[in-house]
Amino acid sequence: MDRSRRPRQSRRRTRRILLALAVLLALAAWAIMWRPALDPQAAAPRFDQALVERGQRVAAVGTCAACHTVDPGRPYAGGRALATPFGTVYSTNITPDARTGIGQWSEAAFTRALREGVSRDGHLLYPAFPYDHYTRLAQDDIRAMYAWFMTRPALDAPAHDNDMRFPFGFRPLVAFWNILYLKREPWRPDPAQGAEWNRGYYLSVAVAHCTACHTPRTKLGGTDFSRHLDGGEAEGWYVPALNAKSPSPLPWTRDHLAEYLRTGIAPGHAAAGGPMQASVENLRLADPRDVDAIATYIHSYLARAPARQAPAGRPGPMPAPAAGDPDLARMQAGYAVYANSCARCHDLGRAETSGAALQLQKAVALYDPDPRSLIRIVRQGIAPPDGEPARWMPAFGAILSDEQTAALAAYLRRYGAGQPQWEHIEDEVKKAKQP
Amino acid sequence: MTTYHLRVNGREHAVDSDPDTPLLYVLRNDLHLNGAKFGCGLGQCGACTVTLDGESVMSCLVPVSVVGSRPVGTVEGLGTAQAPGVLQQAFIAEQAAQCGYCIAGMMMRAQALLAKNPSPTDAEIRKHMMPNLCRCGTHMRILRAVRRAAGALGKQGAQA
Repeated sequence: MDRSRRPRQSRRRTRRILLALAVLLALAAWAIMWRPALDPQAAAPRFDQALVERGQRVAAVGTCAACHTVDPGRPYAGGRALATPFGTVYSTNITPDARTGIGQWSEAAFTRALREGVSRDGHLLYPAFPYDHYTRLAQDDIRAMYAWFMTRPALDAPAHDNDMRFPFGFRPLVAFWNILYLKREPWRPDPAQGAEWNRGYYLSVAVAHCTACHTPRTKLGGTDFSRHLDGGEAEGWYVPALNAKSPSPLPWTRDHLAEYLRTGIAPGHAAAGGPMQASVENLRLADPRDVDAIATYIHSYLARAPARQAPAGRPGPMPAPAAGDPDLARMQAGYAVYANSCARCHDLGRAETSGAALQLQKAVALYDPDPRSLIRIVRQGIAPPDGEPARWMPAFGAILSDEQTAALAAYLRRYGAGQPQWEHIEDEVKKAKQP
Repeated sequence: MTTYHLRVNGREHAVDSDPDTPLLYVLRNDLHLNGAKFGCGLGQCGACTVTLDGESVMSCLVPVSVVGSRPVGTVEGLGTAQAPGVLQQAFIAEQAAQCGYCIAGMMMRAQALLAKNPSPTDAEIRKHMMPNLCRCGTHMRILRAVRRAAGALGKQGAQA
């Protein structure tokens, strides 16, 4: 039928229905996105000291300070920039300052933030804050953390503006992310497993949120729990898989893993670098029994990794490239960098000294599926937390050219790990230089 | 042996050296710039710190062959005993040296910071200076000296 001949009344009705639908949709969207403000509280309640101390230990396992502390002299004042694919998010002040912190937050408001990702005033928090993990926290632990944070020194530190890509600056959109990825289910133990394992399960997933980085994310940034511990990324680093897909060249024992989590070092095996440094910096303040439980849980997955054949003649000094190497010029350039800048520490291993360096045939970064973490360790080095004794590797970002860094990565991959060559090493070196 | 053309403290130098010779050895043995010190030789102490293209690096870890055309700065470039530079004046004013072995490295690390960020916060100074060790324990004075130099540079900037 010719549209122009349709009766005017019918057209008007269609328009009215469309308008009603639009209003309904807007109302539905508003209902999904809107959250009420919760009443401010005039003064924080008093807390039992034992509860405060318990909260300190929960907050240490939760690695809250990794994001919320920038200056160790101003704990929990926020301000750390976290680069995400959707923009840069800045952590906020979680000290009990009434104006710029959480001083006016009741326990109900604090609980809602952890379980639902909603600020006291009703605005939605970005999931850079891992409420999709904290949602499974036990209320006792939330109460204890509330007691810990509300008894910290109040610091005046207004929130830094986030720098989000369009359209993610519009916070209410997070409501739709929450429909997809916020599973508001209480934590349930696995009845087939023992108490220690289940304690570790709870701590790893609900509190320490290991899966926030060690499990891959979807294109929309949601943790893909169906690929539990398959390896992910954090701030440009590859984060190793902790299950059958673990790239580690050496098998982990549960005790080795516990030591690594407590100190950042598993001697002769691994040293924490990149974002993992902040995690171990927090975990060393946690109850060691909790760290043991995390190790038990994670090791139950790591133990599924197939045993690797140790490359022949390793570990030991790294060899010069073979004369017949098809990529000889690049391998020689990489070997020259290794021999002149790396070998003095890494060939020896120096396991018993304070500056112990890992023989690189054992370094997991060489076995990763891509060169991102290796390039970043070379460029940034490994620095201990402020004022703490720990391993120190100097940064080579200002010393090596892009070509030298790429050649070094290619050489280490072939002659250290004996693995198929990485692709796009040069591109990854360029990306690693971006701030 | 290869001939390398190095730009150190604004001057060109030609040196014959093996490619794997650390920049530190070239500075000290060939160019007789003895400010940078050999401490550990493993990039763990910072006594050999110089600037390379404006960034502080430990010169014991830098093979001369990687320097290329990038400018190198050593403590000798900051000033002289007769006319000390701003950083050197600040270190003297704060009496930041005990034995003095680490101080040239400390000043060059601080120089790289102040060139980029003339008014760093205390936390930024601490973080930046962290790699360099002082066995005498004058760290607090060293931090004060860097702060003082930053203040002096700020005043110069305000006058300019």
